[in-house]
Amino acid sequence: MTAEKLDCRGLACPNPVLKTRELVERSGAACLSVVVDNPAANENVSRFLGRMGYQVSVLEMDGNFEVTGTKDESAVSCEVMEPLPGQDQESKIAVLVGTDHMGRGDDLLGSKLLFNFIGTLKEMGTELWRLIFLNGGVKLAVEGSECLPALRELEKEGVHILVCGTCLNHFGILEKKQVGETTNMLDIVTALQLADKVISVT
Amino acid sequence: MALVQTLDFITPVVNDPYDFGRIAAANALSDVYAMGGRPLTAMNIVCFPIRSMDKAVLREILRGGLEKIHEAGAVLVGGHSVEDSETKYGLSVTGLVHPDRVLTNAGARPGDALILTKPLGTGVLATAIKAGLIAPSVERTAIESMATLNRKAAELMVSYSVHACTDVTGFGLLGHALEMAVASKVCIALKAEDAPLFPSVQDLVHMGLVPAGSYANRNYCAHQVHLDPVVDPVLLDLLADAQTSGGLLIALPEDQAESLLGDLKAHGVSDAAIIGRITGPGDGLIQIS
Repeated sequence: MTAEKLDCRGLACPNPVLKTRELVERSGAACLSVVVDNPAANENVSRFLGRMGYQVSVLEMDGNFEVTGTKDESAVSCEVMEPLPGQDQESKIAVLVGTDHMGRGDDLLGSKLLFNFIGTLKEMGTELWRLIFLNGGVKLAVEGSECLPALRELEKEGVHILVCGTCLNHFGILEKKQVGETTNMLDIVTALQLADKVISVT
Repeated sequence: MALVQTLDFITPVVNDPYDFGRIAAANALSDVYAMGGRPLTAMNIVCFPIRSMDKAVLREILRGGLEKIHEAGAVLVGGHSVEDSETKYGLSVTGLVHPDRVLTNAGARPGDALILTKPLGTGVLATAIKAGLIAPSVERTAIESMATLNRKAAELMVSYSVHACTDVTGFGLLGHALEMAVASKVCIALKAEDAPLFPSVQDLVHMGLVPAGSYANRNYCAHQVHLDPVVDPVLLDLLADAQTSGGLLIALPEDQAESLLGDLKAHGVSDAAIIGRITGPGDGLIQIS
């Protein structure tokens, strides 16, 4: 399965959606990715692909968003399989935290909001599958972080916490990590691929 | 007698220059109506690429604008134009109002009901028009709604004990309701499902035809909005959708709301609806259920 790629950086709405629509109609690709450079285009392209029946995941990097849509072609023609006994049918949510404060405007407020966010994540229940920290986000998992009790609680509930090793190194806090597994980019990419839904906090 | 003075101009939201002129003028005149006033005089504000675009286009814009000025009972007394690569048009309007009856967005009181007089979704529809993904009948409905003056609604509401009024434009219903809540120091409860919407506009939101400004409105308001989780996110996007020449948002005592609503509908403001109420004093919070 070859993935169709589309670069829509620099385009204003509704053009990213129009380009994506054109690609879907022309190629009918089962897997495609669209790169956009603003949150509105990200949301619009994600919606459009969702509407067209794609499973959508978003990877945010350096202010750009890579929106990936996949369609399981085999599922279209296959009969629906009975779930195997004991097989987990619940969707898997991965939460990607790439910052130590939530939103823009006031960083102190942002850090309080993120603390609150981490504390409230347990409300997702068993669907919360992985929690990934990178860049400034790794500071939440080290000594002195107010989030540690909430993170330990999540870990006890079976949530897999991944902490980016490169990032810990960058901030010189590799030894101070208190919770989760130190990980690399391959693990992170794999987790994002396997998750049914990725929630990205930046 | 008191004078009120307003100014508003916009970039094109539709393709036809005559329609654009009507919409831009209705949008500018709306500010006077929202204050409970009556337009008296208007001046054109024009930016136009006179070297690269046919003058007939400009004539059509001005023809549409003049038609609305006359419909408002006002007089065009002048204007100013500059050369610009992107077309813009609007008006500066002078209106008359009784000094004791100037309406603002401050003054809404607990126990008031909120009436919205036009359907929501013009931002999404304008994006769909740009994309060429809109049914002609829906486009026509949206154009006529945007080109409709808020005159009737304004004339009818002054017979009631209206406490606050604003017109719904770029910040969307959510943004303007939030401004009303903050200015009036109250909390507002909105019923998302009661908000009037243009036909098929929810489908266009699903298609990803939401303008960036509407997302910005939604995100800006998020920290002061309590959202009932059962509310369809698409409805939230439409509550935040940036409007051009939107309706009036009127706060008046709950026991008068049905009566004004009946009046509005009887006089052709047929999409008007009661969409929420003022729940109590507060520092500007909106609950959406």
